[in-house]
Amino acid sequence: MPRTDDVRREYTDASDAALVVSIGRYQQAALAEAYRRHAGATFGLAKRLLNDHARAEEVVQEVFVRLWNEPSRYDPERGTLRSFLLAHTHGRSVDLIRADVARRTREEKEARQQADGGYDIAHEVWDLALAGHVRDAMETLQQGEREAIELAYFGGLTYKEAADQLGEPEGTVKSRIRSGLKKLRIELQQVGVSVGTD
Amino acid sequence: MSEEMDDMAGNQGDTYELDELLGAYALDAVDADEKRRVEDYLEVNPRASAEVQAHREVATMLAFTGMDAPDDLWGRIAGEIGEMAPPPGPELAKVMSMDDHPRRRRIATVAPWLMSAAAAAVVIFVAIGLADRADAPNQPMASAFEIARADRDSVSTTLVSEASTASAEAVIDQDGHGFVAARDLPTLPDDQTYQLWGVVDDGQVISLGILGPNPEIETFTVEGAVSALAITIERAPGVIADGNPDGAFVGAF
Repeated sequence: MPRTDDVRREYTDASDAALVVSIGRYQQAALAEAYRRHAGATFGLAKRLLNDHARAEEVVQEVFVRLWNEPSRYDPERGTLRSFLLAHTHGRSVDLIRADVARRTREEKEARQQADGGYDIAHEVWDLALAGHVRDAMETLQQGEREAIELAYFGGLTYKEAADQLGEPEGTVKSRIRSGLKKLRIELQQVGVSVGTD
Repeated sequence: MSEEMDDMAGNQGDTYELDELLGAYALDAVDADEKRRVEDYLEVNPRASAEVQAHREVATMLAFTGMDAPDDLWGRIAGEIGEMAPPPGPELAKVMSMDDHPRRRRIATVAPWLMSAAAAAVVIFVAIGLADRADAPNQPMASAFEIARADRDSVSTTLVSEASTASAEAVIDQDGHGFVAARDLPTLPDDQTYQLWGVVDDGQVISLGILGPNPEIETFTVEGAVSALAITIERAPGVIADGNPDGAFVGAF
């Protein structure tokens, strides 16, 4: 984590948009504050996807360095900074997963974990839930929707790969991902969880 | 007529298919060809673009783990950006490239205007770091402004707008320290801010700082040649690039 004196007091109450404006002006303390707020989530997602501590660190480093170099890519009107950073983290992690070498490594590791610890993707997803509200919202989904979202987002699979794994038509899985995300949003809003740009 | 109906039906089918892909696209769960098709679709369909963003916000909630990043990771990031970035002063604006910004049309409405204002200007060259006016920051701002304006090596300009009778005065001294006296500008609502821009030697428009909704005398720093300044009205807390040309105050050196 950044040292306390790296994060100027003036940034601790700044909005994400204000932070990014300051990052655009080479204020390293602003980047440090963005890191303090969002590095845990980005690292957690990358580690979950890649199942590799070192590679997850590399992805997080790449994401924050990219924010430093290209802050104008973030548009506050289109969503939160956390969403922006996580989308990049997810995209980069999926790129690595889909590379053959990374896929083989991960599958080997997963196979070992399944043998050693009874690895269960559903349990992993529960562990990743933000809070009880998110867990509850996931439980309101139909099983097919939940499985499709888990495999696509946390498994790094395309919907076609997920369909193959689930033994369902591709169009069905594609529709379930979309409908499931819409339901999650509504459920979270109904219990007062702010979802991004609302 | 039947061909038109067929086209309409075909377009509606494509739209339906692309809409159905939006959830998977938001989760990076489409292949490369589908990704390109969806991105083309998003370019022309704001509703679809908003839906993708909404899906990503939901995914953001799912992704939260409560996990901390490793202790030493920030140090590596700070080291990497420290090696890459120049050592700017605290007020130095970062040059934003106009060539690779995704929203070029808006920039194009700003840049030619500023460029035309700058066309007849005397281009000045200022060098940062060659001298250090250590006494200036300790003086009252108004005095520092007057000292800079009286300096024969400084350059100054009046920033005016076609939409207002108000104006602002700007001075840049030989060391690149700038002052802008903007106290005559109308006070903006709290959700808006004035923002200062400069046209630098290669024609790029860079942000020089956020002035706030009710500026007095503000300071800034420039590097290289500056041929014109502009003050725009932006939604708070300001923008990174792509300034709003409406009602802008412009002055050429």
